[in-house]
Amino acid sequence: MKIVVCVKQVPSSNEVKLDPKTNTIIREADKSVINPYDKFAIEEALKIKDNLKGEVIALSMGIPATEKILRDAMSRGCDRSVLLSDKKFAGADTLATAYTLSLGIKKIKNVSLIICGKMAIDGDTAQIGPELAETLKIPHITDVSEIIKISENEITCRKINDNGYSIIKMVLPAVITVVKDINLPRLPTIPGVLKSIHASFEIINAHNATANINRIGSTGSPTQVIDTFIPERKNVAIEIEGDIDKKIDFIGDIIKEIMYNGRIDN
Amino acid sequence: MQNRLINKMNENFAEYLRDESRVCGNADSISFPKDEESIINIVKDAYNKNILLTIQGARTGLAAGAVPNGGHIINLSKMDKIISMKNVDEEYYLTVQPGLILSNLIEEVENKKICIENFSKESKKAYVKFLADKNKYFFAPDPTEKTATLGGMVACNASGAKSYLYGSTRNHVTGLKIVFIDGDKLSIQRGVYKARGRRLSFFTSENKKIELKLPKYEMPTTKNASGYFIEDNMDLIDLFIGSDGTLGIITEIEIKLKKRPNIIWGVNCFFEKEDIVIEFVQEVKKQMNCIAAIEFFDKNALEILRKQRENSSGFSKLPSVRKEMEASIYLEIHADDEEKAIEALKNIGEIMKELGNSDENTWVGRTDEDKNKLLLFRHAVPESVNMLIDSRRKDNSKITKLGTDMAVKSKDFRYIFNLYKKDLMKYNLEYAIWGHIGDNHLHVNILPRDINDFEIGKILYKNWADKVSEIGGAVSAEHGIGKIKTEFLKIMYGEEHINEMVKLKKYFDSKELLSIGNMFKIEKGSKY
Amino acid sequence: MAELIIDTKKCIGCGLCIKSCAYNALSLANKKAVVDDDCVFCGSCIKSCPVEAIWIEREIVEIKDLTNYKDIWVLIEEDRDEILPVSYELLTKGRELAAEKKCDVNALILGNNIQKKFENIFEFGANKIYYFEGSEFNEKLDEVFIEYLDYVCKVYNPEIFLFGATGFGRSIAPKLAARLNTGLTADCTILSIDDNGLLKQTRPAFGGNLMATIICPNHRPQMATVRSGVMKAYKVIDKNRRKELINIEAIKLQNKKTELIERIIEEKTKSISDAEIIVSVGKGIGSQKNIEIVQKFADLLGAEIGVSRPLVDIGWAGYEKQIGQTGSVIAPKLLIALGISGAIQHLAGISGAQTIIAINTDPEASIFSVADYKVVGDCIEILKGVINKLTV
Repeated sequence: MKIVVCVKQVPSSNEVKLDPKTNTIIREADKSVINPYDKFAIEEALKIKDNLKGEVIALSMGIPATEKILRDAMSRGCDRSVLLSDKKFAGADTLATAYTLSLGIKKIKNVSLIICGKMAIDGDTAQIGPELAETLKIPHITDVSEIIKISENEITCRKINDNGYSIIKMVLPAVITVVKDINLPRLPTIPGVLKSIHASFEIINAHNATANINRIGSTGSPTQVIDTFIPERKNVAIEIEGDIDKKIDFIGDIIKEIMYNGRIDN
Repeated sequence: MQNRLINKMNENFAEYLRDESRVCGNADSISFPKDEESIINIVKDAYNKNILLTIQGARTGLAAGAVPNGGHIINLSKMDKIISMKNVDEEYYLTVQPGLILSNLIEEVENKKICIENFSKESKKAYVKFLADKNKYFFAPDPTEKTATLGGMVACNASGAKSYLYGSTRNHVTGLKIVFIDGDKLSIQRGVYKARGRRLSFFTSENKKIELKLPKYEMPTTKNASGYFIEDNMDLIDLFIGSDGTLGIITEIEIKLKKRPNIIWGVNCFFEKEDIVIEFVQEVKKQMNCIAAIEFFDKNALEILRKQRENSSGFSKLPSVRKEMEASIYLEIHADDEEKAIEALKNIGEIMKELGNSDENTWVGRTDEDKNKLLLFRHAVPESVNMLIDSRRKDNSKITKLGTDMAVKSKDFRYIFNLYKKDLMKYNLEYAIWGHIGDNHLHVNILPRDINDFEIGKILYKNWADKVSEIGGAVSAEHGIGKIKTEFLKIMYGEEHINEMVKLKKYFDSKELLSIGNMFKIEKGSKY
Repeated sequence: MAELIIDTKKCIGCGLCIKSCAYNALSLANKKAVVDDDCVFCGSCIKSCPVEAIWIEREIVEIKDLTNYKDIWVLIEEDRDEILPVSYELLTKGRELAAEKKCDVNALILGNNIQKKFENIFEFGANKIYYFEGSEFNEKLDEVFIEYLDYVCKVYNPEIFLFGATGFGRSIAPKLAARLNTGLTADCTILSIDDNGLLKQTRPAFGGNLMATIICPNHRPQMATVRSGVMKAYKVIDKNRRKELINIEAIKLQNKKTELIERIIEEKTKSISDAEIIVSVGKGIGSQKNIEIVQKFADLLGAEIGVSRPLVDIGWAGYEKQIGQTGSVIAPKLLIALGISGAIQHLAGISGAQTIIAINTDPEASIFSVADYKVVGDCIEILKGVINKLTV
């Protein structure tokens, strides 16, 4: 069975601060890492491979430096990786990204299952999975918390709902997105790390992917970001000053007040 | 004592009667001084009134060194600032207060985010240089308990996993400021006061000349935290490092920072047979020079962790260790570049294979997240054992964990390891062994099921201390002697040398008020 | 294709744009700023540049005739025979937008036993209700809904289509967007109409640390999902309003690829997400032993304990206690934050708290930026005092 795992490179921290002097955004992250949700996707693919045999391919779209996280994915057990990288892919929204990823999957051929993390921690959209499925004209299940059964042409999943869960059976090929903690991602082994250094890593550009130029990058993106800004926080806090006893009294009073009012409300 | 800093002991301060050894002491009062002046005021007062003093940091010690024996507690946790920085010959030095928490120091140094609010112009200049320096720096001593204070670490000469490569706290301390029990002070820079043979003399701040006759014993050549550091032509500073708070109160510490290697990777290697481990470690030590830490976990440690993992959600994030695995060795690679680190990984894999083990049974931590998992694993083992003991103590409060801390010479390691195992099997005790196998230093933890086990355990512990002393090892290699291992120190050095130590203490503390009970028991009014 | 242009003659290499970029797409080369493929053309750097050396050149797109597309549509979602509050919230918001655009608000409801719900849907602001009644929707399978949605969009040409950002909505909306080749903005917190009549969609990204405003100029419908509780719902008494019911055609579904085996409803277990009073602790409590004191305090208040991530990382508390972006999002009446510095991921999880009392030794701690009451001091010492005070 051929399984593709979609991974994304994200900043190691999504902290963003506002420089009060220049009023510009300051990023706190200094490293790029694999999107935390995608680790669970990788592990789930590896678990299937452990049981059914086959091949796990890590797929990403991004700048050439994304190679590092793809090699990391291979050190954990992915057999090879494919990176869709081209200036022309830049500025893609979720739809253009889904289209671009679908080209990678078509290139890989005969893929039975595509696993994505529930969402990426930088964009938080959780749209790639369903959009990718639709672009490939195959079914999908989001928020999967367990793969109950899988065979060459069918998968049964437990899907988390807002108020419980569903057990759903789906024909393959298909896409699933997995929630955090669906599994415990394994750590790389020494042979895994050594293998990943020379493992097959393929870069595909727009031309090789036979991309429709109107569907990729910013041109192929229906949405446009026209502004970004730091959300406003609440007003300034009331500072409780004085010595420790004063502070203790004040806090005690606030707590009493809130708890007392709470009781009346109820 | 009448001083606005002094608090009478009450229920709110109950925790200050204990440390991680779980020994509980007693005291009449406690203070949390914020500067040296306050300390001087307190000690002078105590000195005049003959009040016993116990010095505390974060109370993370395992030998009860911070547990009071009556009198007054000086808790230094409020003196937790980094005071200054200097840059000499391309090296960076920080002066810190004794209450500074190690984890805060690590964070500030490694992220280069030191709070410089109180820095002088000179210090700020050094800091600007530090920021511009493309190298990263770190403070090498790494006891497992990262909430320890620097003062506590100096007092017991703490070490940790990476002491295999970088040595213990002693090797990274270049200056100390000490307040003596009579309120006199001493500033020491490494290299200034050196002994001539076993005679050492120096001047205090009040220009008092002190002349010491140092004890005559020879220290073991192993890793060691037992008794005063004494050797021919020694540096005065080394006498205070590892002195368990018995000579004076540390008020400032100057530490030297080290360049941090570019690549730090961790590898947990698992073995199906425990006995192969010693050979593996020997080969690693022989063949590799980029290994900073070599840590061992035995079958029982892995098994306890396995069980605790099911019960505690905190540890449930750890990958599970396969049941067939009988032992684990953690190795930490410190290398300048990735290529060298990869070579090291290869080397480790090859040694495993040569000894008939699969290199598939490894966990490699290269990303921050994976390294944190490996760290959690190493923390989880002692933590799990403590949880197990705590639950047993509910039924029988007399039981405690019996944990050894002894180191021997390389050539004796197999002998002592076999001895431990043989004795434990013979008496059918429950146990778990882990520790710093790279330094031939293991913690054998006896886990008594009942009071009988506990008593047998104590006897075994003493027997081992005998054997270790006999072959020139150290009865405490890193936790210090504190109050709970004074018997072992006696075994190790003998009555006569203990008396020399007591005498040495009395040069500094003639009234016998400071940290009484640490290192050796002093009968009140004893005459040496 | 859009392009970010950096005028190297003007660029002074100050690096402000690099700092301003949330996507890490800018860097310095030869003391001039350069951009790489991670750029999403959000324009942050343009605002940051002190010398106006940066601008975006967008390819001139052929302006499509989009006048056929009209009205604001809302997908009504049901759960156990009840319309979800988020659907009413969307209708209310839709009405507000429709007033500006001078168009209708249309509701689409697909379900069983729906007739009795029409009145409510009208009351919350729908002008027309498009419906299809049938039991095939009970299973809430995407592939059943998608065909109807696709049909409705192709026949009625909605200009704007709003969905609840429920588990269901977040699965079906992107599928539909891809089917229709249009844009979708997830989890919008602000929706408004701009000068050109376009839907301006503002949403959090980077775990709530950054807000992005997004438009979808050349594709229809403009699609957005909105989380429950973000917008307000209220009824309108408007007797003159035209109300219309339209029964849409049945659509034949062929060879279904998904099948619901079982659907289990689980009442949520009590967790910190539902707690009324929460005492949260961070690394500032100093030592693990202090958790006992915190527990004592929490018991006194009948509060739940939550922790910041570092405490989970070092193993002092389990993951289920973690508050923040990767843990639980909380909305208590009272939050007492002890020794929490307030990393933004953490702040993202506590924005729902009504009253926040924060105690920290660092007067600059960012937790104070969201707190109602700021107390600078040792949280454990203060806590002991408060315990005494409350027990007396």
